[in-house]
Amino acid sequence: MCDCQILAHYQYDGDQFILTLDSSEIAKSTIPGQFVHVTVSDSIPMRRPISVMSVDIDNGTFDLLYKVVGEGTKKLSESKIGDILSVIGPIGNGFELTDKKLPLLIGGGVGMPPIIAIAQKIKDTDCDPFVILGSEVPFPFTPEHSNIGPECDEVSHTMPLLEEWGVACRLTSLQGFEGVYKGYVTDLAKAYLDTLSKNELSKVEVFACGPHPMLEAVAKLSVDYNLPCQISLEEFMACAVGGCAGCTVEVQTERGSAMKRVCVDGPVFDARSIF
Amino acid sequence: MLSYSIMSRMYNNLKTSFCGLKLNSPIVLLSGCVGFGEEYTRIEGFSNADVGAICLKGTTLEPRLGNAPHRVAETSSGMLNSIGLQNPGTEAVINDILPSLDMDETRFIINISGSSVEEYGEIARRFDDTDIDAIEINISCPNVKEGGVAFGNDPEMSYRVVDVCRKNTSKPIITKLSPNQTDIANSALRCINAGSDGLAVINTLMGMAINISERRPVIGNNQGGLSGPAIKPIALLKVHQVYQVSKKYKVPIIGQGGIATVNDAIEFIIAGADVVGIGTALFYDPLLCNKINKGVADYLSKNGLDCVDDLVGSLVLN
Repeated sequence: MCDCQILAHYQYDGDQFILTLDSSEIAKSTIPGQFVHVTVSDSIPMRRPISVMSVDIDNGTFDLLYKVVGEGTKKLSESKIGDILSVIGPIGNGFELTDKKLPLLIGGGVGMPPIIAIAQKIKDTDCDPFVILGSEVPFPFTPEHSNIGPECDEVSHTMPLLEEWGVACRLTSLQGFEGVYKGYVTDLAKAYLDTLSKNELSKVEVFACGPHPMLEAVAKLSVDYNLPCQISLEEFMACAVGGCAGCTVEVQTERGSAMKRVCVDGPVFDARSIF
Repeated sequence: MLSYSIMSRMYNNLKTSFCGLKLNSPIVLLSGCVGFGEEYTRIEGFSNADVGAICLKGTTLEPRLGNAPHRVAETSSGMLNSIGLQNPGTEAVINDILPSLDMDETRFIINISGSSVEEYGEIARRFDDTDIDAIEINISCPNVKEGGVAFGNDPEMSYRVVDVCRKNTSKPIITKLSPNQTDIANSALRCINAGSDGLAVINTLMGMAINISERRPVIGNNQGGLSGPAIKPIALLKVHQVYQVSKKYKVPIIGQGGIATVNDAIEFIIAGADVVGIGTALFYDPLLCNKINKGVADYLSKNGLDCVDDLVGSLVLN
């Protein structure tokens, strides 16, 4: 647990915010998929669990993306540069990065951060990831034309940060944004998978985070293509250390159904154990 | 000048006893908030040795999966929970969890729930033969269909549950009382009559939150137990009411319900609590116990009091 100063706080359309906090410890030690548990205000009795989106190890900072959905995130959105937040973290079992060379990374809405965190982690490896980010509100960045990855006039835009990292990415939305695939993330994922050879498919592992219906569709797609799939879940949370069992989800295990805590048993689970 | 022992990280004037147990601090960590005693030790700076006792997760005879999500929801100055007593069952707790606890760090209290009077007796009997320091009888859980608050809201049933536990264990028994009843003092008296050595006042209050876009309760179990600062004034009054009865029998109270500050803790002790329970507030500040220890120790010292006992029940009514 540490006090972190707010170094930057940008607002994007759709009540979305990116918050930069200082902590060299968290920047150094966070595994993609892990989250932090932050205080949002003295007047709000509970902390908020928020996934780490990216880290800057050199400068000792990390970024969080969140959307205002209630009182707590509203209060958080009112915090200013220089304010101090109490942060517990990094918490949880993050994604297990395997030797699959063609990771397919799928993020929807405020489920994008852990997916971006994976992209950052593997950008300098010999993996050739493909990222699909979906949003039904304007993206929390300004999409720009991409020179990396599949060429297609209608589906040409990416997240600038991923472009900077040299990671191929395309965007999806039903809203008809320019350069963005009009459809669900799973529609574009299916189109991408259909371009791969059998050999290439054997190198794909799916990583996803997003709304529950999206994760269910991603899990089904993974089964259809016989691909391993790790998903990161969210749930209302109280302690975030495994003490209260307030954030559990039903998980299928070899010994039958079990209630697992998203905070310390997850937030990343094998998709087949959830759906 | 305060006497502070680095070795025990504790203030000498905070040492107290509760139901015959020697405690280093008047703070008790509450059942359901701190798992089975190891979870919070993951946080740097947190130590079980900083509290007088820890009430372990509510344990039933057989394993329970607990309730469907959502299990927690924040409300104004508080939170609702409906965990549903998820636990691995009595045998797993005795065989797998108790041996891993460091019994030198603090006192450990098992919290038990049964679906029948007989089951309470059976669980108490099984824990009687363990190293656990005391047994807290949960007759006030609002989140299970059988047992729980159904026993706690009926003083006669409360009596029977405590009585059967008393017959099955020689360990100290603490009965956790429900605020969801008309006359908590009468219920406390019946529990004392049945042999309860201590009382925990109060458990959560039943409550509900509604998602207006879905027109459904936020909590998976529809209703839950309300905790946090929102319930503090209610809990404080209940402690005061129970103390009027319990003091005649010298039965000590764990005062609990929304304690989040040093002042809160002191108020509960003045109202009649021998020790204070911390639960929900730990979620916001996992290092709160040290602050409360220091604050209470300072208060005692500044007011010329040698120990917590000197403050218990010192309320002067208007």
